[in-house]
Order: sequence, then structure tokens, then C-alpha cells
Amino acid sequence: MAILVRRSNLFVPITDSERVKRAWQSDADAVTLDLEDGVVEPRKAEARGLVREGIAMAARGGAEVFVRVNAPLLHADLDASVWPGLRGIVLPRVESAADVTEATNQMTALERLRGLGVGTLELIVLLESARAVWDIRSIVTASPRITQVGLDESDLAGDLGITPVPEHDPYVYARGRLVVEATSARVQPIGITYPLGVHPRRLPPADIHRVATDARNLGMKGVVCPDPSWVAPVNDAFTPSADLVAHNKRVREVFAGALAAGTAAVPLNGRMIDVPVDEWAKVVLAMAEACEARDAQKRAARAGP
Amino acid sequence: MAAHQVRRSGLTMPVVTRRFVEHAWRRGCDFINLDLEDSVPQHLKANARSLIKAAIPIVRKGGAEAFTRINHDYVHADLEAIVWPGLSKVNYPKAESADEIRLLDAVITRLERERGIRPGTIEIGANIETASGVAAAYDIASASPRVREFGGGSGYDMSRDLGVEMFVGFEQFAYGKGELELVARALGLQVRAAPFVANTTGSVSDADRAFREAQAARTCGFRLGGGLNPAVVEPQNRGFTPTAGDVEDAQWVLERYRELTGTPDTWKVIDGRVIDRYEAARARDTLEWAALCAERDREKAEAVLRTRAAMAEPASPASA
Amino acid sequence: MSARIRRSWLVVPMSKPEEIARASRSTADVIVLDLVEFVAEEDKPAARERVEAAIRTAQAGGAEVFAQVDPELLVADLHACVWPGLTGVIVSRLESAQQVADVDGLLAELEAKRGILPGTLEIVAALETARGNHDAYDIARASPRIRALTLGRADLIMDLRAEPSGEIHLMPYLMQRLIAVARALGATGIGAWWQAPARGLLAGPDDTYQAARRGRAIGFTGSPCIDVRQVEPLNRGFTPDVAEAAAAQELMTAYRAAVARGVAVVALGDRLVDRGSVTQAQALLDRAAACAARDREKAEIAARPPLARP
Repeated sequence: MAILVRRSNLFVPITDSERVKRAWQSDADAVTLDLEDGVVEPRKAEARGLVREGIAMAARGGAEVFVRVNAPLLHADLDASVWPGLRGIVLPRVESAADVTEATNQMTALERLRGLGVGTLELIVLLESARAVWDIRSIVTASPRITQVGLDESDLAGDLGITPVPEHDPYVYARGRLVVEATSARVQPIGITYPLGVHPRRLPPADIHRVATDARNLGMKGVVCPDPSWVAPVNDAFTPSADLVAHNKRVREVFAGALAAGTAAVPLNGRMIDVPVDEWAKVVLAMAEACEARDAQKRAARAGP
Repeated sequence: MAAHQVRRSGLTMPVVTRRFVEHAWRRGCDFINLDLEDSVPQHLKANARSLIKAAIPIVRKGGAEAFTRINHDYVHADLEAIVWPGLSKVNYPKAESADEIRLLDAVITRLERERGIRPGTIEIGANIETASGVAAAYDIASASPRVREFGGGSGYDMSRDLGVEMFVGFEQFAYGKGELELVARALGLQVRAAPFVANTTGSVSDADRAFREAQAARTCGFRLGGGLNPAVVEPQNRGFTPTAGDVEDAQWVLERYRELTGTPDTWKVIDGRVIDRYEAARARDTLEWAALCAERDREKAEAVLRTRAAMAEPASPASA
Repeated sequence: MSARIRRSWLVVPMSKPEEIARASRSTADVIVLDLVEFVAEEDKPAARERVEAAIRTAQAGGAEVFAQVDPELLVADLHACVWPGLTGVIVSRLESAQQVADVDGLLAELEAKRGILPGTLEIVAALETARGNHDAYDIARASPRIRALTLGRADLIMDLRAEPSGEIHLMPYLMQRLIAVARALGATGIGAWWQAPARGLLAGPDDTYQAARRGRAIGFTGSPCIDVRQVEPLNRGFTPDVAEAAAAQELMTAYRAAVARGVAVVALGDRLVDRGSVTQAQALLDRAAACAARDREKAEIAARPPLARP
């Protein structure tokens, strides 16, 4: 089964034409044209009119293009967004399987209407309430279109009635449940280490790299980037390094040798290489290959006509 | 019977490695876990099955219980090979559904009957090593009365399933560990858990760390240990056993608590220390556990003496 | 529905009637008349007799009054507690939806008999065992009277002990899980983030304040306590402070200015602020105002002449 590589998803307000034009230069794996929290109420109708053109602009560097719709304006926003070139929809404030179905029904109808392959548009689902966190299993299994799921920690704070402070992470339970239930349902959990999800900031690349690495080691498979400066360190943190790839190739060689010699465990540089270590090496190498394939696609798109 | 309640230390070892199996009884473990799974390469698994029956009494010579770890994908073949008198427990990896546990229960029940083992003797260790296992934890843990302990939620396989590196120095598995422990407690099962201790080396032979972790686990009320390397056995035995000082302190608490009977108070404070029914319950727990450990240690010492006598070995001072 | 401000829940054993008067002179938002945790078996009949009068005394300082009852002794305990002036009951060691249904039914009966507006008595579900916590969702949705969940003395009842870090084993997990379940059902979490050496809600004033602050940061809105000296620290810890209110105000001002320019995300220093942060900021300011109002209300009530006693 192909590994989905969508390490960075850069969110840009659709009404900020400069940022939409420049989005592809960030090298994000995905760009989300935002109709929701990135756009003030009075401009939401205007925003819809900008999506069709925005899709082509955002796709220039080979990024997948998504649109984040407004939950209370679902029908109008979907109608404005489903055009050739769109990869999928980011659906916020999902509380139930019914919310998912309402969106997918309309997406199917629009795919037919506009000549997209039926069922091809993906869904990235954002959970913003304790109710959604509790009911996550029925949500993530509601449609095969769902490929990623994350917490909107800012709105979740409102639902929990808290003003988060950096010293005390209030989302350990919610985030942990997200990772376990999503992974179990074969949907990728996305998110960043606390408190950057609820208090996003511009930080030096090394800091973003560090927190992105920690997020990866919590089980996250990608990060919503509110700022272009996040993209490169996030991509890097979620890509096995050349050193790591070389090391794990060696692990596989050494272990294969051990098996041929009739044993199931062999030392390498002070560590025991056994079945679990070899299994992990397979995972790392498969991820490295998939990342390289994605990066090659993006390079080709940039070099293209 | 004390044996099944005292499992402070144990070694998981590939049954195909003869010298490990033959020396196991000398290690001082409370249990030996004969492995058919990850430490046995694929091409040796058939041979491994044929070795279990004879290995069970060998590893029990020092008084240890005998467990096995079977393969997730070879349940029938493995169970046929391992269910023999003397086996206490079957460890089943990567459990993901209640149905799997019910199947194990049914096959073990038949084999116990066929092989003259008292029905219900053999326990099932349902090991949760994937996200799906965590999601189904309650159903899994309640699927059979043979499941008597439960917990965990971290380790190599869980890390691989979540796609995370290990030994990164912070708690990566809070949700899984929390859910499994809550399920274990809700079902009245023995809890396999411990306080989080940051580990960035992944060493399996660090005796000091093993002692500190066992001690931290015990002061949190936990009793279950185990490992891969003989160096951790004695530290775990020591770390999980109450000291003479702990026993004295528990007796003191119970005496102070008894003094409350007949008074209108349900609690009092002595030198800044609260004495109430909760402290009394903990004290009783400590005394009971100390007694169980002492009895277990006597059992093991006697078994070692008998084995040495049978081998006509001189009794060494360390084992008396 | 705007929630009542209930930052401090002072538990008073009904075996010690002399403590009621002292409690009513404290600034507790809620006084809990206890028939369960601190009352010895043989003292319960006498304790129950005292509750009706104790409700009136407890109210004198402006506190709301709850009673803490035993689900195994429901009939006796509820008959003793349900009188006009009672706001609700805390049910100790709840473990099943059936128990909740039993409480709900009895409350309805007693409301009718004793002239209390039907459906108004609240239930606080104390989930103090592993079973209760595991089944928290089913328990909490078993009655619309359940407005709050609490872990009560779970650390003692479940025998959860201090880890080397100072955290009480499993409690951080149980707290966040409880709050998630409560909020999923529109209820609130009552408790604090106690750390060693605090045990079973008992701690000195400083530790109590810190536990309240940490608890508020993860979603608790108030906490029980056992000692009257814990009341003021709880009130303070569960009230947004001046610095927080100022920061919230600054954030809202910056955001409004941005929106006026047609922009929905604004940088405040290196922080990126959007609608979600503003919702939080507004909620904090609303809570600060509500706390101030509650404090004024209590002060007014406490300043009134004492009620005539029968």
C-alpha cells in the first residue's frame, strides 16, 4: 500500500493574493486555501470567487491543493471549491459521522457535475470539541475519503473552557486518543507539539525542526503550517536523513547475514539487531523511498513548462 | 498459591538457544518466558516448537514458573506444542480483538483436558502492541477469565505501529498506557504498569536502572517485572520486594490506625503524616506482599537445593 | 445557560456540626454537607438529622449548598438532605448508569414532596473508582441533572501513589479524560491538579493555590477541599488574574484592529493570533467578570443580619 507523504500543509487565507501566489515557493507537500478562520466574515462571499483561480496558482510547485470550508457555509463553500486540480477538502468542526456524510454526499454530486473522478477528492477532518474527540472512532471511519485527521487546538480550548498556558499541556488525552484511533483506522494523525498548535508562532527553523521531530515521535504524520517559514524544517523533520537511511540499509544487510548464518540476533555498533530492529529499518527505508518519490514529483513540477 | 502472584523478575529467551534454557534455573527469576516469537528466526520456528515440552521442566528447576510467548500467526501449531503440565502462562503478542483471545481460550481448554492439566490452570497474557489493540483493550481484557493481568502499551512493536523512534526521552505513549491501566483496574486484573522514567539509551542490561525502576514501580504499588538480560534479575527481585524497614513502617501505621477505633475520628495526623483507612489499607497491602515475597523466595531456595542435590552439586552459600 | 461560579467546594462532615458555622463564615462558593466520606457508620443517623438545619446555616454566608451521599444508602441519605435551600447532591463512588437512574428518580420524588421546583436539583457524579472512570460516559449521560463530574478522592480509593516526578500516578490521565467526557456532555469538571504530597484533596494553602491554577489550565472550574484554609487559595486559583485579563484584552484589541482592515490573522510579537484565540480571550474576560459578580454577591449576603434560628 502506497505511503501517503503529506508532511507539510501550508494554510493560506484565499483573500491574501500575494500569499496564494507565493505559496508554491515554500515547497509544501500540500497547500490549503483557507475560506474559514483566515478570512473575515464580511469577505467570505468574495473569498469563494477566488478559489478556482487559486487552485491553479497553489499547485504550481507540485503541491496538493485543498480548500478549508466553513462548517456553517458548507454547501456554498463546497460549490465554490470543487474544480479540477483540487485534491480535497479540509473539513472543520466535525462532530459526528453525519457531518462527514453531509459533506461527502455533496462532494460526490459535485465530482460528477464537474468531471472529477467520483470518490477521488480526499477529506482532512479537523476536530474541535470534546464531543468530537470522544466520538473520533465513528468520525474517522465514516468515509474512505478521510486520509488525515487533526485537532484544531485553538477551538478545542474554547470548547474545554480553557485559556491554555505553555507550562501545562491540556491536550495529552485528546492528542493521544487522536493518534491511537486514527492509526487504528489507517488514517494519518496530524499535529504539532504543544503549545505550537494552540499558540502558533514564527520561530527559528531549528526550533520548528525540533518540535516537528517530537510530533513525529508522538505518531503524527504531518503538520498544518500556519506560516511558510515552518515548511522546510517540517519537511526535513518528517524525512529520514541520508545518514539514517545508510544506517538502516546496513542494519538490513547485517540482519539478513545473521539469518543466513542461522541466528536471529547479531550485534552492530553496540546494539543488538534482531527482528524488531530489522522491522523498524524496513519502516524507515520505506518512508525514505516515499519521501524521495514525493520530492522528485515536486522537482519535476517546478522544472515543467 | 503464592507462585502465580509473585512475578518480580523473569527472562524472555529463545527456546532454540540451548545454553540459555539449560542455565535459566540458576538465574533466580520468578518466571522464565520461553520464546517462539521474535527472538526465534522464521526458519527455526518449527524446531522451536519441538523443544518446548522438554524445556518446561528444565527452566522450572530453580522454582521459576514457565511461560511461553507464541506467534500471533501460528496459534494452533504453537499451542499444540506448548500446552503441557508445568506451563503456567501463554503470552500472546499483538492482540487486537476479543475473538483472538476467545479462540486461544477454547484451544487451551481442549488441550488442558486432553493432557490432564487442571482446567483453567493456564493463563493468557494478552499483549497490546498496536494502536488497534489499544482501541479494543476492554473487549480483549474481558474476553477470558484466563486473562489475569493487563497493561503495557509501549515497546518495540507499539513504536513500529505508531511509526515512532524509541528512547527519545519523553512520554510517547501516555494515552495507550493510561487506557490499558484503566481497563485493568476496572476489571480487577493485576496491573502491569510503572511510573514513566526517561530512557534515552535503550540498554537492556543496566542493573542500576533496573533496580531504580523496580523500586519506583513498587512504591507506586506495582509488582510485575521482567526483562531480556540476566543482569536485571537480582535488581528487580530486590526492587520489587519490601524491605524490613517497609514492613516495620506498615506495622506502625496499622497500630496507629487501630487506636482510632472507638473515637469519633476517621483520621488523624501524627508528625505531619495522615493515618486513615487508606493508609491502613496500603499498610496491609505491604505486609501481605512482603509475606508473599518471602514465601516465594523460600520456594525458590528449596527448589534450587533439591536441584543441586539431585545433580550432586555442593550447595553454594549464595543460594542458601 | 451561564454556569454558576463554583471555585471552592468546602466539605464539612455532618458528624461535626460545629464546623458548619465556621464554614458559613468562609468565602466558599459551595459548602458540601458530607454524610459519606468523613462520617463513621455509627454516627450516620445523628448526622442525617442535622442536615436540614445545616443547609440554612451554610447558606448564611452566600454559599450554594450540596450534600454528599452514598449510593448504597440512597434512601436514607437523600431523605435527610433534600430540603429547600439544597442545590444538589454529590454522589460518591458512582459506578453505573443504574445508580444514576436511582438517584434521579428519588430526587424527583422528593422534589415533589418537599416543594422544590421539579428537575432543579443537580447531581455531581463523583467517579472515584476504576470502574466509575472507565464507564464515565455512560454514567454521565444517564441523567440531565448531571452538571459536573469529579474524581473526588480517587487517588486514595484507587490507591494511586506519588511517582518520583511528584505526579500522582495515572491522575493526570484520569483528569484530562474526565474533563473530556464532561465537556462532551456539556458538563464541567470539578477538581484540581494535586501533586505529591497532597493526598485526597488535603493540602496547605500554597499547594492548594498551585493545584487550582494547574487544574484551571486543563479545564477544571473549581475543586472540593477539606480544610477551610484551602478556600481562599481555591477561589484565587480558579479566578483569572489581572495579568491574564490584561493579556486577553490586548489580544482582542489587536485582533479587532486587524479585522477592521479586513485581515483575519494578525501577528502579536512572534505569535499568530486568529479567531480561535479571541474566543478564548473573551471567555476569560467573561469568567473574570462572573467571578467578580459572585464575590460581590457573597459579600452582600454575608453582610445581612443572621437568619433567625428556630
